[in-house]
Amino acid sequence: MSDLFNGLIGGSAAALMVIVVLGLSALGFYMARSRAMASGNGDRRNLHSLPNYYGWNAAMLTAVPALGVLVIWLLAQPMMIDNAVFKTIPDSAIAEGSSRGLVMSDVRRLADGLDVIIQRGVMDAEQVTTLDAGTTDLRATLAAEGVALGSAVEQPVLDAAQMYRAQSSTGRFWMVALVTVIALAGFVLSLRVTNADFRARNMVEKGILTLLILSASIAILTTVGIVLSMLFESINFFRLHSWTDFFFGSTWAPNFRGDSDLSILPLLWGTLYISIIALLVAVPIGLFSAIYLSEYAGPKLRSAAKPLLEILAGIPTIVYGLFALLTVGPALVNIFGRGEQGLLGVEWMSGATSVLTAGLVMGIMLIPFVSSLSDDIINAVPQAMRDGSLGLGATHSETIRQVVLPAALPGIVGAILLAASRAIGETMIVVLGAGAIAKISANPLEAMTTITTRIVSQLTGDTNFASPETLVAFALGLTLFVLTLGLNVIALYIVRKYREQYD
Amino acid sequence: MKDLMAERTVDTQKLKISARNVQVYYGDTHAIKDVNVDIEDKTVTAFIGPSGCGKSTFLRCINRMNDTIDVCRVQGDIMIDGEDIYDKRVDPVQLRAKVGMVFQKPNPFPKSIYDNVAYGPRIHGLARNKADLDDIVERALRRGAIWNEVKDRLDAPGTGLSGGQQQRLCIARAVATEPEVLLMDEPCSALDPIATAQVEELIDELRQNYSVVIVTHSMQQAARVSQKTAFFHLGNLVEYGETGTIFTNPTDPRTESYITGRIG
Ligand SMILES: Nc1ncnc2c1ncn2[C@@H]1O[C@H](COP(=O)(O)OP(=O)(O)OP(=O)(O)O)[C@@H](O)[C@H]1O
Ligand SMILES: [Mg+2]
Repeated sequence: MSDLFNGLIGGSAAALMVIVVLGLSALGFYMARSRAMASGNGDRRNLHSLPNYYGWNAAMLTAVPALGVLVIWLLAQPMMIDNAVFKTIPDSAIAEGSSRGLVMSDVRRLADGLDVIIQRGVMDAEQVTTLDAGTTDLRATLAAEGVALGSAVEQPVLDAAQMYRAQSSTGRFWMVALVTVIALAGFVLSLRVTNADFRARNMVEKGILTLLILSASIAILTTVGIVLSMLFESINFFRLHSWTDFFFGSTWAPNFRGDSDLSILPLLWGTLYISIIALLVAVPIGLFSAIYLSEYAGPKLRSAAKPLLEILAGIPTIVYGLFALLTVGPALVNIFGRGEQGLLGVEWMSGATSVLTAGLVMGIMLIPFVSSLSDDIINAVPQAMRDGSLGLGATHSETIRQVVLPAALPGIVGAILLAASRAIGETMIVVLGAGAIAKISANPLEAMTTITTRIVSQLTGDTNFASPETLVAFALGLTLFVLTLGLNVIALYIVRKYREQYD
Repeated sequence: MKDLMAERTVDTQKLKISARNVQVYYGDTHAIKDVNVDIEDKTVTAFIGPSGCGKSTFLRCINRMNDTIDVCRVQGDIMIDGEDIYDKRVDPVQLRAKVGMVFQKPNPFPKSIYDNVAYGPRIHGLARNKADLDDIVERALRRGAIWNEVKDRLDAPGTGLSGGQQQRLCIARAVATEPEVLLMDEPCSALDPIATAQVEELIDELRQNYSVVIVTHSMQQAARVSQKTAFFHLGNLVEYGETGTIFTNPTDPRTESYITGRIG
């Protein structure tokens, strides 16, 4: 039965089910609507709700639970089958230097390949189920159909793939059966309750509410999921590496042969140092430009300058990184380095990458961010407040300093904290501009490195997710996340408190 | 009518403010149409008229607060003590220190009550020392009829007061700088009868030294506190004269309909 069924619809079962369910739900819409009209003797004034509400109610009850189950099934089935098949692979089938995970991916690819063969008619389903790895060169057969396998197929892998296919097709069958039953149940139920007194409008209201809650919880749950996955990997890391060294050690010296010093402090220092320089650049310039634009500039200039600033905000950070590497870095070397040939005739800076390079460029990147946020906040200060001050004979700048800025201060502090959390999390500029040397030094002309650049470098190239040198990236990421989350929470708290003042 | 006015100004007070052919436009809206008015020193002048007739607009011309509105254009001459305040040499900042204003909507600063009142005196350097400033603040708050309510919480934010208290705080803030002319735009709109009476007392007291212009929607208040009344209608100054005359014997039928409650 299930074989026949798979032969008929195969892998496109899910897409087909979506079409069937939606069709049924559309049918439900029209049937419920006309049923409601009939029960109200053809006069919509006799109905509790507008006829369309009865239709929507039926469509909703038919489609939503069925599609929900479909989605969950599609997510769960591969995991469960993977798990079941995973256990059946004997240890002997796992070659030296390989791992169970790699073999599993071979199994999956092979299973997909066999499906392809059947679809193209190279073999029929019967032949495929009786295949023997010893007699057929499956690798060559599959390659002819465009499915590339990493190595020749061994019997245990073939067995596993067969099992994978069998379980998948059984799963698919039950999925189709279940989804159809649920959709039909919803369809019948909704039609049965449809009559003139049924409160379809309230049902639809509840349905919409559920939809909204669902969307909100997806947003929140993904965040939780991200944090949890980081957390688990971090816990793995702390099993392999002492947490005292990570938080309180003083050197960062990863060594892929093991026994590395993995302390966050030098990286944290680099991150904070660069961020502080960036804020020293961005905050005054951004704030002053916001004050100028919102308080002094005429409408013409403002309408030209604001979009320009927003363009600056839209430049990808990698472009800023190139700017740091190719323009700002060499310019700084020209000033602070190159001995006699340099501008100052000193030899303080040797390479283009330095804390100052990255900090300056990151500051430039943050200017539009600070300025457009501050601009909004300054504009939100009521004109009546300015009038009050001007009416007492204060000058424009006195008014700004003593009334507008104090009123906007909490909001501006919030904006600065948001900028700070962006600076801390920024990656591309520091990858290209800051250098790769982890150290704690006060000299801004030296190259240093940051948490984000180290995460990148620990995870690029050949990685082995069981070594502390790789797993440390998750601990670093989690620390970074906690840091920026803290800043964001404080910033949002301040901004919100400030908003309440005028509402 | 101009002759009549000239007669009266001779036998009462000297001229403080005189407006000639004042036109105000907000973009294309013609909000004030050809207004001529002479406001005397040491006198309370009331502006009355239906909502939207331009009372606030004209009031704001007298201390050039309209400069802060981009779309607003003012034409004509307004003289204070014989000096054209729209002259290029006049510094509007200086002018506003001399011509104080209480706005229609209370607008306390997000600072403490004390700092709100001390704001003007600090900017203009009116106090010699801290004790002096304390005196100025207390005096202003007393004149604003709010001292008793706030004397124990001068450090509390001014924005935390009730609407009527905020209005009185703004009055105190305006009188703290000792302006020569005080423009008050509906200063009692949110006040209870007791506070209103206190503010009216203050206005009467200010009249000893200053010139006060008050916008009000209350006929009784205009009759109680003012010596001169100007009636505005649709941007025109319809009638201007002794308060008594305007209320008992108006010449223009529109004035009569308004004060008897038929337009407005
Ligand atoms: N900032 C502005 N921009 C454009 N038009 C304005 C502005 N302020 C006032 N106006 C217009 O000018 C006219 C006069 O307004 P004004 O505020 O002077 O009236 P008012 O007599 O004070 O009324 P009320 O008694 O309601 O306070 C109104 O028609 C109003 O729409
Ligand atoms: Mg008004």
